[in-house]
Amino acid sequence: MPVSPMPPPSDKPPLLPSWRAWYWLVLGALAVEVAFFTYLTRSFAP
Amino acid sequence: MSFLDWLVLGGTLLFIVGYGTWRTRRAGNSLDGYLLGGRQARWWGVGLSIMATQASAVTFLSLPGQAYADGMRFIQFYFGLPLAMVLIAVVAVPIYSRLGVYTAYEFLQTRFDRRTRTLAAGLFLVQRGFSNGLSLYAPALVLSAILGWDTTLTVCLLGAVMITYTVSGGTRAVTVTQQGQMAVIFTGMVVAGYLLVHYLPAGVGFTDALHVAGRMGKLNLVDFNFDWENRYNFWTGMTGGLFLALSYFGTDQSQVQRYLSGQSVTQSRLGLLLNGLVKVPMQFGILLIGVLLFVFYLFQPAPLSFNRPVYEQVRLSSAAAPEMTRLEKEYAQVQQAQQEAATALVAARHAQDAPSQAQAEQRLQTTQAAAAGLRTDWKALVQRTAPTADAKDTDYVFLSFVLRYLPQGVVGLLLAVVLSAALGSASSGLNSLGSTTVIDLYRPFTRRPLALCTDKHLVRVSRGATVGWGLLGVGFALFAARMENLIQAVNILGSLFYGTILGIFAVAFFQKHVHGRAVFWAAMITQVATLLAFWLTDIAYLWYNVLGCFLVMGLAELLERTSSSSSSGPLSPADTGSQPN
Repeated sequence: MPVSPMPPPSDKPPLLPSWRAWYWLVLGALAVEVAFFTYLTRSFAP
Repeated sequence: MSFLDWLVLGGTLLFIVGYGTWRTRRAGNSLDGYLLGGRQARWWGVGLSIMATQASAVTFLSLPGQAYADGMRFIQFYFGLPLAMVLIAVVAVPIYSRLGVYTAYEFLQTRFDRRTRTLAAGLFLVQRGFSNGLSLYAPALVLSAILGWDTTLTVCLLGAVMITYTVSGGTRAVTVTQQGQMAVIFTGMVVAGYLLVHYLPAGVGFTDALHVAGRMGKLNLVDFNFDWENRYNFWTGMTGGLFLALSYFGTDQSQVQRYLSGQSVTQSRLGLLLNGLVKVPMQFGILLIGVLLFVFYLFQPAPLSFNRPVYEQVRLSSAAAPEMTRLEKEYAQVQQAQQEAATALVAARHAQDAPSQAQAEQRLQTTQAAAAGLRTDWKALVQRTAPTADAKDTDYVFLSFVLRYLPQGVVGLLLAVVLSAALGSASSGLNSLGSTTVIDLYRPFTRRPLALCTDKHLVRVSRGATVGWGLLGVGFALFAARMENLIQAVNILGSLFYGTILGIFAVAFFQKHVHGRAVFWAAMITQVATLLAFWLTDIAYLWYNVLGCFLVMGLAELLERTSSSSSSGPLSPADTGSQPN
């Protein structure tokens, strides 16, 4: 049975306008964390 | 431990388990209710359950110790996780949800055939069945070493509690108890972090601690230099870590079952994304506790070894006595010098005196090198005196601090954190073993007439399988106590199978033209090749997740193209895993 990864059209996320916005939020948070960790590493490096 | 600690520990665990069992006492009326909690979980319940499943007792015992010894570079291991959460939310969740499956492996029968499903389910049962027992054994080992608790009794008690509530309330009981367990875990870690900063000497604040830790190379959070031999850098985290997270969260039933229990695709997806948002900061917090411990012990005397039983074993050996006396005397001197240098470094920082700061830093590094040298001598002494003893003591650093320095009541709370983590993680594993056994092995192969395969019967079989796997796990944990290197071997075992399982799912999702026969043989060849590579080469085990996945995908493509007869395509809907068969 062929299956598609597309979600049903009625599947709207809460709070943010689209799922794409949620995904970017998670990936953006990761980018901010990596940037913060890089700052900590370089600021306090021996 | 004081009476208050016992009260907090026992009260916390009994309340969480008792409440979870009572709340879910009617969960076993239907198969859907028992295996997926009636698909009623909200996003925060799904997210907390996913986090509690991953966070085992080892997380809270090993991670602070690892940061204490090696700095925070382990955080990079989690960088691939948020990306994996997004990919699973986009690709896997809608498919699993639409098919209404109970296990991830049911989908493989829908997409390929029964034997591919059975192969994947079998690989999962082997690796999870063995590793689940160790979720109980690891904390029992550390608690027996530090508190003198009997390992066998601890494993049996934890096992009995876990089996009782998992069998009684199924997935719903696991989810409800995990919510309480995560609340205890978060509270305990925040309290521990606060008290650690509070216990630093007067005049040494949080930023001073970070400054000192950074100067000693402990804030090594990100390393962008690529090196095959360096297990933890940005690139291994974003590749090996990503593939490991995809395998674990996308194909391991202990995790898939958490988000299959979501009320809708929306709730399941949000649960996964919550994990993607919280996991990295949470691990950062746990590692930061380890770094603060390092700073704390710059100002306070640390033992030569945090592993007390091994320390006592060597101390009582008359042959080791002269060397032991020398090491202890020199270690005390080095610690005194270390404390003076650390105090001078903080004072110079406050005075903004750069030359004095550089001088104090140099002195501190010298004392650190001297302390490291003495610890190496100590390990050599342990090897000579007690060759079978484990000289590594990082797993004992955090609990040793808790027992020695934290006030009454908080000790009980932090022991509850460790045991909650053990129960939360192991109960999910057990729950998924019972589900996979009944859905992927029992139901497709039973000769019982279809009319008699009622929900009630399948729930009874699932309960029996859960008890069986629970007892096997406890038995394996007790057996592991007699095998020194078994823990590491079983941890590696997971990575040896995950690559193949992920490869099967990757073909299912992304190579739509590949049929069952091609992927089945590709998986078989990959599994054999992975095991041979493990025995014959020195490839770091994290890479098996990546290599195994790509090998299955490549071989399946090749076999599909070369074999004109590979036409064992998807079965008709009547034969799929969605139907009782």
